Amino acid sequence: MTKFAIRYALAFLLLIPMQAIVFNHMVLFNVAVPLVFLYLIVMLPITMGINLVTVLGFLAGFLLDIFCDTPGVNSLCCTVLAFSRKRLFHLYVSIDDDLAGRSPTSHTMGAAAFMKFLLTLVGLYCIMLFTIEAFQFFNFRLLVLRILASTAYTFVLLYAIDSLVVRKAEV
Amino acid sequence: MNELFAFIVRHSKWLVFTVLVCVSCMLLFRGDPYRQHVYLTSAGRLASTAYKSANKVTSYFDLLEINDDLNRRNAALESEIVSLNERIEIMTEQGYRDTLVADSGVPPFEFIVAHVISNSVARPYNYITINKGSADGIRPELGVVDRNGVVGIVSNVGAHSARVISLLNPHFRLSCRIKRSEYFGSLVWNGDNPYEAYLEELPRHTVFKPGDTIVTSGYSAVFPAGLPVGVITDDDTDRNQNFFKLRIRLLTDFTTLGNVQVVRNNNADELKAIEEGEENDSKKNPFGN
Repeated sequence: MTKFAIRYALAFLLLIPMQAIVFNHMVLFNVAVPLVFLYLIVMLPITMGINLVTVLGFLAGFLLDIFCDTPGVNSLCCTVLAFSRKRLFHLYVSIDDDLAGRSPTSHTMGAAAFMKFLLTLVGLYCIMLFTIEAFQFFNFRLLVLRILASTAYTFVLLYAIDSLVVRKAEV
Repeated sequence: MNELFAFIVRHSKWLVFTVLVCVSCMLLFRGDPYRQHVYLTSAGRLASTAYKSANKVTSYFDLLEINDDLNRRNAALESEIVSLNERIEIMTEQGYRDTLVADSGVPPFEFIVAHVISNSVARPYNYITINKGSADGIRPELGVVDRNGVVGIVSNVGAHSARVISLLNPHFRLSCRIKRSEYFGSLVWNGDNPYEAYLEELPRHTVFKPGDTIVTSGYSAVFPAGLPVGVITDDDTDRNQNFFKLRIRLLTDFTTLGNVQVVRNNNADELKAIEEGEENDSKKNPFGN
């Protein structure tokens, strides 16, 4: 657990500034934003206490909000996402005994279940984020396009990160 | 008491969730960008330090374009200098110089050069962070321009960094006029395209044609009059409206912002005092007698 805590702290310190400095500028066609920092919420062990998960989710969103000048937007979405994560997980995997203390990855969950889980998380996040942002300029076509494109883009990047991390852990 | 405790423990996940959602919503609905604490913005020490170190690398990326732009601008300024020199010569020859009215001595506008360390164009509310702060004489509500035109207005100031409300942000409306005529309207971003904005509230009898330049009106103390802002591309007015709504192509390229200048108006306090004085007078004496 200590090992995980250190790894998580490092990931936290790395991913939030990376999201602000690098990934927020990798926007494709002015619609698709890669929300790579969501890995911070994905990587938490499923058996972790829900209070801790919610607080960590909120902190990730809050820090990103400071960087991006979007007060409250990411905090709110991250809190809701972290809170509902376990429920979404159980949509696809019924028992979590095998996963005690381990992060959900394609290795621990199986590729198909992990893909579905990841897609649901990312999709939910993008729907919340872009709907809140659309309060100012409502354009339905653009909203749907943003949600779909960002979900796909983020999903691909997160799956790539996952396969990199898993391979490294196996060796 | 024990029961209360047990209740809290049992439902702690909902409590934590509700508290965090409430905090987020409070942040979300506070709205006014001027009233945020500087540590909650990108001008705070945490974010600005990260942005500054990243900027040491990324500031080299657009140098080619910036260089081209500067060369063009330089050429334009040189030709202006030549023509101004000619005019000065003519005036000196005519002996007008003795009769010219002397200025009060303080140049009304000063420019502080700053570097953009963070910038966004794809969000509904875009902000820019620059690497100069109160230690360099920057205050809230100063205008920011770059070599091509208007960029934004300073909202929060840290010691060595400041956050600017970009022109690509609905919190910012800019009073502009058409260069050829004296009619003025209000420029506001259209929300999705970083190269375009709308000029609204332009009187229906205004004469204009696509290609006309839009400049700052100078009616606020923030920007000097006549700074270029954009070019009219077409008319987007609803037939039933009493005002024109024109589509404007912005001259500033917000996707490659590098060096910017913060405009400090030395007469701003004086102007503000006068305007406040007027407001107070009208409050005391609403019918003017």
